[in-house]
Amino acid sequence: MLEVKNLRKEYGGLTAVQGVSFNLHPGDIFGFIGSNGAGKTTTIRMISTLLEPTSGTALLNGADIRRDPMEVRRMLGYMPDFFGLYDDVKVWEYLDFFAAIYQVPTKKRAEVIDNVLELTDLTVKKQAFVQSLSRGMQQRLCLARCLVHDPTLLLLDEPASGLDPRARAELKELIAELGRMGKIVIVSSHILPELADFCNTVGIIERGTLLACGPVDRIVKEMQPNRKLKVSLIRDGSEATLAIRDMPFVLGAQESGENEISVDYTGDHEAQADLLADLIKRNFRVITIQEDFADLEDVFMKLTTGAVN
Amino acid sequence: MLIEIHRFRRRYLTFSGGNTLNSAILAIVLVSYAGLILVVFSGKGNFPPLGIVMFQAVLITIFAPGMLHGAIAGERERRSWELLLVAPISNAQIVFGKFLGALAALGVAFGFLFVPIMFAAVTYLNTNWADLFQGELVSITFAVAICAFTLLISARVRRPFVALGVTLGSLAMILIVIPGMLSSLVGNISGAIEDEIWLLNPIYVLAKLLDHRRYDYGGAYDRGGLSNHVWGWPQIGVYLALSAVLLRWGVLTLKFAENDVKFLPKGQKEDA
Repeated sequence: MLEVKNLRKEYGGLTAVQGVSFNLHPGDIFGFIGSNGAGKTTTIRMISTLLEPTSGTALLNGADIRRDPMEVRRMLGYMPDFFGLYDDVKVWEYLDFFAAIYQVPTKKRAEVIDNVLELTDLTVKKQAFVQSLSRGMQQRLCLARCLVHDPTLLLLDEPASGLDPRARAELKELIAELGRMGKIVIVSSHILPELADFCNTVGIIERGTLLACGPVDRIVKEMQPNRKLKVSLIRDGSEATLAIRDMPFVLGAQESGENEISVDYTGDHEAQADLLADLIKRNFRVITIQEDFADLEDVFMKLTTGAVN
Repeated sequence: MLIEIHRFRRRYLTFSGGNTLNSAILAIVLVSYAGLILVVFSGKGNFPPLGIVMFQAVLITIFAPGMLHGAIAGERERRSWELLLVAPISNAQIVFGKFLGALAALGVAFGFLFVPIMFAAVTYLNTNWADLFQGELVSITFAVAICAFTLLISARVRRPFVALGVTLGSLAMILIVIPGMLSSLVGNISGAIEDEIWLLNPIYVLAKLLDHRRYDYGGAYDRGGLSNHVWGWPQIGVYLALSAVLLRWGVLTLKFAENDVKFLPKGQKEDA
């Protein structure tokens, strides 16, 4: 389990992260969302023991990042947003080097390397030179490197940046698989659709402050407690808007386009069918009536102002 | 270590593509080495072994920074540094690992140069084995100090070429320029003061060891220089102590280097 407690980082007069707290359990895939400069990378670097927090701490399975960083490092895999690979080194040699650093027993190393290569779908590239790999493959190799010591926590900082759509899809599937394997995964990104697909928990950060944190559904629900319906008509949009405002379960209605009405609604599907029937009964020519679901992007846009430190 | 051997083989012994230049450099080194062997063998009996030790010291002063300047700065430049910092190894382990790797490479270089030195020593008429032993130790400990110094500079900068420039520049200043300027400023100085000025220059030390067998079998050097006891062991002790201090400093530097913000220019640092 990862417990992040009131993490704070100050650089001189600048507070990069102010009191970030959250808890994650095995299997959680945590999407860390924020604009560039919001404090995602600083938070991740503090958890990874690369940066010393000004105050606060984080505990990984009881090990404190400040008091016992070596123990924490044994349990985490960290993939930075930019990373370099050594020249003139083959894929298996690269992994073997890091397996040695992470004190994987010599006898087990070959098996471990084969396993992580299989998991990251790089088995065929075992004898290839790392500089000959595509960007997507290098990204997967870096992830394989993170996995050689079977870490509890994976910190992935912008893992999909610079990848083509296919490589992104493969990486998403891989991260989802790691979650299913019971690992805690923290993925930072500012590309929201990418996170919404496979994260079960998200945290939204702006100017170093965690604005929202929890399961995706809950956060979306909190942001938009009522249903939002979109009604399209052939004509008479203004009259229909006035009529809808007087109907049951309607909190508000306004025209959102030509002959298009946005309705704040608290009724269930039965009531929604009645609303449609009522409109038709009043001779309004309805084309469609559909629910407008909020997504992570809507929540993000609603919560944040776009300001950076 | 095995990976480093593989990398060396691929870089220098593949004779193809981008490695052709490396292979050519290795070929030049080998031809030069063969030339040295040839000169020593053909001048059998006339070649003072300490002369080759002096040549060795000059070579190592250039070779060691060339080999080690990217040890840490190179990791930073290629962005592989953070991957080492999050591994469960201490900063001291990182520095000493790099340092021992460099010493292993230096060991190979010393091993190659040991052949002509020993041949010259055996065939040279006036070989003083005690002086030769001290001279070799001066050369080795100086090489160790150079490695420690290069590692320290590499730990403190971000670009390998900056590390190389700063290291070679500093060595030139410390070993040649400053003592040379002091010598010329003081003017007509006694041998003792000149000796003090050049006390830590290994070439000067080796020259003294070579000279005192030739000209001075008694006490002080005939120009009124420092006692013969000043040359050899004191420098060995100083170089070793200096190495320890520089390595420790390098380890402490890494603690600061963890925070990349320290490397940002001032304006950007405030924006970060």
